[in-house]
Amino acid sequence: MKKILLIFGLLAVLVPAYSQDQATLAALEMLALGEGSQAEILEELSDLGDPYIKTFIGGWRTGEVYSYTISDSETIVLLRVSEKFRRLSDNEIVDLAEDDSRLKKIRPARKLRKLLKTITDTIDLSSPDSKTRIDAALKLGLSQNTVYLEALQKKLQNEENEKVRLKFEEAINISLLANAEGPEALLSAIVRLGELKSLPSRDGITNIQNKAIEAEDEDLVTACTVAVGRIDRAQKTIERWGNLVRGLSTGSVLLMVAFGLAITFGLMGIINMAHGEFLAIGGYTCYVVQNIFANAFGVQSAAYQWFFWVSIPISFVVAGAIGFGLEKGMFRFLYKRPLESLLATWGLSMIMQQLFRLNFGAANVQVNTPDVLIGNLEVAGVALSYTRIFVIAFAGVVIVMTWLLLSKTNLGLYIRSVMQNRNMASSLGIPVSRVNSLTFAFGCGLAALAGAALSQIGNVGPSMGQTYIVDSFMVVVVGGVGNLLGAGISAMGIGAVDQFLQPYWGPVMGKIIVYFVIILFLQWKPGGLFPTKSRSMDD
Amino acid sequence: MNIFDNKIEFRGFLIGALVLVFLLPMLNALTSPDSFLHVSSFQLSLWGKYVTYAVLAMSLNILWGYTGLLCLCQSLFFALGAYAFGMYLVLHIGIDEVYNTPLPVFMDFQGYTELPWYWAPFEYGAFAVFAAMAIPGVVALIFGILVFRSRIKGVYFSIITQALTYALMLLFFKNNLELFGQSYILFGGNNGLNDFKEIFGADVDSASTQRWLFIGSVLLMLSVYLLVAWVLKTKFGKVQQAIRDSENRIRFSGYSTTSYKLLIFTVCAMIAGAAGALYVPQVGGINANEMTPAKSLDVVVWVAFGGRGTKFGPVLGAVVVSVLKSFFLRAAPDSWLIILGAIFIFTVLFMPNGLVGLPQQLKPWIDRLKSRKATTSPVS
Amino acid sequence: MAHVPSEKHTPLILSVDGVTKSFDGFKAINDLNFYLEEGELRTVIGPNGAGKSTFMDLITARTKPDSGRIRYHQDDGSDVDLTRVREHQVSQLGIGRKFQNPTIYKSHTVYDNLQLSLSGKRGLLSSLFYKETKENRDKIYDVLETIRLSEFADRLAGSLSHGQKQWLEIGMLLAQDPKIMLVDEPAAGMSDEETDRTGELLLSLEGKHSLIVIEHDMEFVRQIARRVTVLHQGHVLKEGSFDFVRSDPEVIEVYLGRQTRNH
Repeated sequence: MKKILLIFGLLAVLVPAYSQDQATLAALEMLALGEGSQAEILEELSDLGDPYIKTFIGGWRTGEVYSYTISDSETIVLLRVSEKFRRLSDNEIVDLAEDDSRLKKIRPARKLRKLLKTITDTIDLSSPDSKTRIDAALKLGLSQNTVYLEALQKKLQNEENEKVRLKFEEAINISLLANAEGPEALLSAIVRLGELKSLPSRDGITNIQNKAIEAEDEDLVTACTVAVGRIDRAQKTIERWGNLVRGLSTGSVLLMVAFGLAITFGLMGIINMAHGEFLAIGGYTCYVVQNIFANAFGVQSAAYQWFFWVSIPISFVVAGAIGFGLEKGMFRFLYKRPLESLLATWGLSMIMQQLFRLNFGAANVQVNTPDVLIGNLEVAGVALSYTRIFVIAFAGVVIVMTWLLLSKTNLGLYIRSVMQNRNMASSLGIPVSRVNSLTFAFGCGLAALAGAALSQIGNVGPSMGQTYIVDSFMVVVVGGVGNLLGAGISAMGIGAVDQFLQPYWGPVMGKIIVYFVIILFLQWKPGGLFPTKSRSMDD
Repeated sequence: MNIFDNKIEFRGFLIGALVLVFLLPMLNALTSPDSFLHVSSFQLSLWGKYVTYAVLAMSLNILWGYTGLLCLCQSLFFALGAYAFGMYLVLHIGIDEVYNTPLPVFMDFQGYTELPWYWAPFEYGAFAVFAAMAIPGVVALIFGILVFRSRIKGVYFSIITQALTYALMLLFFKNNLELFGQSYILFGGNNGLNDFKEIFGADVDSASTQRWLFIGSVLLMLSVYLLVAWVLKTKFGKVQQAIRDSENRIRFSGYSTTSYKLLIFTVCAMIAGAAGALYVPQVGGINANEMTPAKSLDVVVWVAFGGRGTKFGPVLGAVVVSVLKSFFLRAAPDSWLIILGAIFIFTVLFMPNGLVGLPQQLKPWIDRLKSRKATTSPVS
Repeated sequence: MAHVPSEKHTPLILSVDGVTKSFDGFKAINDLNFYLEEGELRTVIGPNGAGKSTFMDLITARTKPDSGRIRYHQDDGSDVDLTRVREHQVSQLGIGRKFQNPTIYKSHTVYDNLQLSLSGKRGLLSSLFYKETKENRDKIYDVLETIRLSEFADRLAGSLSHGQKQWLEIGMLLAQDPKIMLVDEPAAGMSDEETDRTGELLLSLEGKHSLIVIEHDMEFVRQIARRVTVLHQGHVLKEGSFDFVRSDPEVIEVYLGRQTRNH
């Protein structure tokens, strides 16, 4: 007996390798022509799990399947697909007229139809794709239909993937919530669901709990309470991780914005209120590049997928160039006059916002996500969207590059020396005004990179900068002005704390609490995390 | 002690006061609408609005021009005052005809059948007037203690006050506040408070009410002007400006700059609140758009454009920019923000003393022109 | 302040005992002991980074020490712990400070600058309702005389020359009528003649006030020096007369030596 099972098992493994298609097709043909044992064939089909089965059965039920008698001994099955007859066994087109007398539409008998439905419904349980198997199992489990319960139990025995097994088990127990025989079985199902931390079963369990409270069944109530508690706790953990990633990605955007702010403030004593608008320049550059690609290559083309990657460097260059021009035309008159610069740049910000509005409309524009970034990465039950992970990684790269620029290049050396002592640097022959222009352009470029990243996780619109500018200033204040490490820590901190508070307090109260905490924090450390020390008394 | 700098200022003040308090209201009340001297009620309430803006600008000028605190939450205090008085007005609308409720409509929408306790006192006009000044004052006091105690100043002060404005704006845009499992109704969310009917028993839109509100606004402006002029003449005013010029020095001279700044900040918040309270019945509504950080920066433009650190500059700036705004919003709505932005940049870069300081700034140029004329005229 | 000199039992006016202050692990002041006698003129020198400015910050409660005591011995015999008062109270106790860069109120007149510094009540209400008396006025003119700015009384302080600003700030200290004057680099940026006059001015204050003068300019130190304290790495390296200090090999090594090499 054992040997037979073993061989059977081996066959099951070998069959797909040999040719699943052929086996499926042969079985389907037999079924359609009513040959062989119907029950056996159905069983075989449900084990095969070929997605084609579903297609065929679907066609059969809607009357697209025909038999064609070639000779007395040979009858073949045809499937009509968009007005063409195709042979089931090899998918070849057979040229036939509709009114050929040897052509006969075949339809399944009523009894068979019912069985077929079960097959199509449960066929995904045997799908080669594990995700399809899981989805199908949960769907069937939630239907709490006894027919599927049996199918699930049967499939569970053959399932080898541990992850899928757990999901099958979950589905079975969910189904058992309605179909359990006797209180013992129900109780164990509930306990098991709690252990599995099954969120889909939560509603079912609470229903049972409510009934049990009415029926004063204490054991059941306790079991339900424990299970729901377990599920909720697990869910909280998942949410927390999700929030952390969301917070870190928001923090990453903040960080890139704050870096630019910290550099320009540290270097030139300029508070740039228009910095947020450079964020928008980044976002809009992506939008424009996307449209150019769509026009040139078409939305379906493979080249279109590249638009986002191409627009990242372009946005850096565009914003950098605009920043360079503005530094030459306006900002250099504002050095070391932070309050005046705050006002003038606010005026600039109004102008830029209005220009965005006039050019791109007041509504947000849609920047698409390249296919590569669509979807989620699943880590321990937590779905992390690729876009957010990308933003975090992107910020990491940008920051490392900024750090390298500041610490390893000549320009970086110049920047740091101008930051520390402008006059001394100038008298040592450092081209201070060039350094200023380049640094300012660089800061603007950073903001645009942040904007490009943001186009994947947020909105691109004329006032997108305003949403972030207040927060980024807070980052600079908390981090200590002109200090990049401080900016890094505080950006991540503010981003994460914000996201942590939101589920409990809502976005608005969350934000208010964050600001309040910042003000309290400044009581303790007025100069921020890393205060700059100065010898001048009036700083 | 004479609080005016010179006779010209004194006469100007007197003439201005007479024109605004008596002449304009009388031209509105006593002349027929066809007369070319007639001032329409619409015009009067429009100018009433500008006067409240002028007061707002003056309150910022005390902080920024004289004390060196570039506060970016003046419009917040203004709006708080406006909301406090707006709460009184919205509670005296009477029974709504469509929804048949004695409560403000937005409360009815939220399913309220009774006035919540924290709204109840605002049924009384006197309380609302008090609250319109007290609430901004208390907010400023608490916030000021935290901020000044930790020596936050300069741009940091601006940034922090901007964050305060931003946070409270977000709050006021909400309909409800969920706090510790309790839900509190706020102040009308996006729509804010509007559609007023009655003020102290009189019809809020009637010509005579609007006239009195205008006079009230002007009186407030005149008294703030007098207050500023007086304080400037006292040692307090000198300390105030010393804080602006060298805060460390004045602290080492033994003045507790924290308490000076705190008092000034609180009083300015109360002035802004009072202006807001007068603003709301003249404009007919208030919503959270009035407390965006951008609005606070608008006030800064008024002051900078008119002339920061001068007594009359803020008034001039507020009125001129507001008039320009209403003109351009009709003539070229798309370019208004661009023009405003340009005014901002131009003022900062080229007009550090604003409109008031312009004659002084242009004097050398004019002198040079004159002398050139003088030298060239004999030749020609 | 009650003026009961008979109760005071020490000739000292300021005692700094074992004070340490570090910033991010760097000890700016390290176990510093310093004693100032009533009416003494003390010069403090030391190379850059010796902790001179931090030392002044500590006395004026601008920074709080990590450990140690700073006591101010008042005339009535009571001691005030300067580590426990707030900055603006320090001057009310009778300690005035002149900063390294002249800090004056540039948009006030010279007269108003002095008026604001005049000893008296500093509360909100008292400055709102302040009435200037003849005594106040006389005092201000006295100070103007001392600092040789009488004819500039109505000029805006911002329009004075650098040296005059330095004097004005010293004058502001005098107007406060302090017991202790802390003077940070008074001769910086002055012409030789101005430096000489500043020296004379400080010497004339000796006895009436207790002074601590921080200075870099050795010529100037020679002019005014009575007792000299040399700070090095936040610690008192040597203390004594100018000649004693100048000839000390250690001092020469850390400070004067470097100074002479530079010249």
